[in-house]
Amino acid sequence: MIELKQVTRRFGNVVAVDAIDLTIETGEVCVLVGSSGCGKSTTLRMINRLLPHSAGDILVDGKSITTMNPQQLRLNMGYVIQGTGLFPHWTVARNIAMVPRLLKWPQARIDERVRELMTLLDLDPATHADKYPQQLSGGQAQRVGVARALAADPNILLMDEPFGALDAITRDNLQLEMLRIQQQVRKTTVFVTHDIDEALKLATRIAVMDRGRIVQHDTPENILRRPASEFVENLVGRQDRGLKLMSLRPVRELMTPHASPKRSDPGADALKEDDSVRLALSVMLWQDLKQLAVFNARGEETGVITRERIMQDGL
Amino acid sequence: MAKIDGTAAPRPTPNRVVPVLAAVALVLVWLLDLGTIQPNRIVPGTGHGLVSAVGWPGAGLVSLVLIASLAVSILPLAWRYWALLVLAGLSLALLPLLLEVFAARHLPPDSPYARSSVGAGFWCLLFLLSLMLIEILGRLKAGRGVQLLVMVVIGGSWLVLLRGAGLESLSLVREFNAQPDKFAQALRAHLALAFGAVAVSAGLAVMLALKMMRSPAWQRPILGAVSFMQTIPSLAVFGLLIAPLSALSSAFPVLQELGVRGIGWAPALLALIAYSLLPMVRNTFVALTEVPESLADAGRGMGMSERQLFFQLKVPLALPVIIEGVRITTIQAIGLTAVAALIGAGGFGGFIFQGLGQSAMDLVLLGALPTIALALVADALFTLLAASLRPVPATA
Ligand SMILES: Nc1ncnc2c1ncn2[C@@H]1O[C@H](COP(=O)(O)OP(=O)(O)O)[C@@H](O)[C@H]1O
Ligand SMILES: [Mg+2]
Repeated sequence: MIELKQVTRRFGNVVAVDAIDLTIETGEVCVLVGSSGCGKSTTLRMINRLLPHSAGDILVDGKSITTMNPQQLRLNMGYVIQGTGLFPHWTVARNIAMVPRLLKWPQARIDERVRELMTLLDLDPATHADKYPQQLSGGQAQRVGVARALAADPNILLMDEPFGALDAITRDNLQLEMLRIQQQVRKTTVFVTHDIDEALKLATRIAVMDRGRIVQHDTPENILRRPASEFVENLVGRQDRGLKLMSLRPVRELMTPHASPKRSDPGADALKEDDSVRLALSVMLWQDLKQLAVFNARGEETGVITRERIMQDGL
Repeated sequence: MAKIDGTAAPRPTPNRVVPVLAAVALVLVWLLDLGTIQPNRIVPGTGHGLVSAVGWPGAGLVSLVLIASLAVSILPLAWRYWALLVLAGLSLALLPLLLEVFAARHLPPDSPYARSSVGAGFWCLLFLLSLMLIEILGRLKAGRGVQLLVMVVIGGSWLVLLRGAGLESLSLVREFNAQPDKFAQALRAHLALAFGAVAVSAGLAVMLALKMMRSPAWQRPILGAVSFMQTIPSLAVFGLLIAPLSALSSAFPVLQELGVRGIGWAPALLALIAYSLLPMVRNTFVALTEVPESLADAGRGMGMSERQLFFQLKVPLALPVIIEGVRITTIQAIGLTAVAALIGAGGFGGFIFQGLGQSAMDLVLLGALPTIALALVADALFTLLAASLRPVPATA
């Protein structure tokens, strides 16, 4: 658990972060979202003491971070930044091994861990372990960045616009990957972005920041349904809030389940239980259908979703 | 299904550089004197053109080699650069044989003071053949192994031929044989001064660069001071140091015992260090500060200490640029050490100034050629070192 209590950071006369209170529960993904220059990175960098805070207190698992050795603190916090920050003179494997080596793990354990992480992030160890960062695509490099952050199995993950420099498709893939990995490892994560859609997709709770203050801290659904101010309302987009809410909701919640799963051939584009209601509606509109079959991960048909139901209960 | 096959080798385009070099060499070697014969050390010699020097068979062979190089280089053959490498490499390796034939044909048998010396035609041939070799090695994209092999074969062949009996009459060899101990001594002094200065200034430069990184307020004064030292003409520095060092050594007898005097190695070393500082400090500082802050930030954020960041990130990334500074400095110091002979520092400069004083051009060459050779060898070694230490592979 991370607690920020009345934390302030000034740069000269500029107040970058203004007396914020924020609690991040163990295992949740807290997304800091807001326009450029509102103090997101500053907040993040105070948590791992890359920046000292000017006032207030920051506690990790109940202990004030100022009482801890900064290196010790950071070794237990994965850190991912936009430009990846991979060392260009180190191979992929050596980069991932950075923290385990700082912690003086035995080499055999490091090698095994590197292989394990590369597999987790969908990088083939045989082809990529010995490459240098500049031989990778942007998406691959950022996967390595995430693997490096996870290497020593830290309790906390700090991510500063990690997917900000990637193209839309790669970013989408990595966001899905993030969700999948978070299912497995459940790290307490602070994730910074200026992209509200990314925030809605990844967050357990979102903290909306504006000029150094937190203007709303709530679940994605509540942020959409009950924006605390006009600023938040504009940020989430007044007009397409309906569709955004639908994209938070999995099809599972609105489908009519079959009594028992049916065997049938799902095809590549079949709708899955975890897909969003928004996707279901989009498919129905495009193919001019009144209802769609829904499949589970094993490819069995488990129910149907109707256009009528979406119109009634979609939001 | 038919596939478009892209494997057909593109027709090799004719080379433009080698034929020009070969043609120029052919013209010059026929126009200029290949060598001269002097009855003794001081009297001006009589020049001999190509035919007169090595006879029709020799002249024919030289011309044949050059014409063959010209022809092969414009033929669209896949293996032509290997052929040219063999041709140019062998010609360079065996070039001293021309002088041997020349001496055997023209040196009067019973005059011990008569000597042969190298003419403009020979120098041109040597120079142009070397250029051809460089071009050929570049075209072959030859690896370091091949380059080194070629250098060793040519250098070795020259050493053997120059030490052999056939070239004893060559004035350069005569000058060397007259004082072999002095040559070895000059080599030692030259190396000690140049590399001593580079080593000391490298140490100083690292300390100054670190100081500038820690306290930016020192950047301007330090860079200003080392740039200023660079602007003083070298002779003036050597001169300027004479007075204070004489004063110091007469005041402290300990220094005198160490050999620190107004003239000699001490002022030379100080001046060389002063000159070496600018390229070294600048390259070291720039290299270390140009390591992107985002990388240091990532490393720091992952839990590296400043010390670990310095040795695991900054130094490896900066090393090639720092070594580049050392390379420039070393070449410069080798050249300047020759000038330092003026204040009695020793080294190859001694032969140069002595030769100038006695109008014995071959004595000048005995000093100048090894200085050039040293600079070239140092250049090659440091280039190799920088390439092998380059932390990031060049290919993306
Ligand atoms: N090192 C610094 N020195 C001075 N001002 C800074 C520094 N870092 C950030 N700031 C200022 O603090 C404010 C917040 O910056 P930052 O946290 O980087 O914003 P964000 O990450 O939300 O884009 C900005 O106004 C920025 O100019
Ligand atoms: Mg930022």
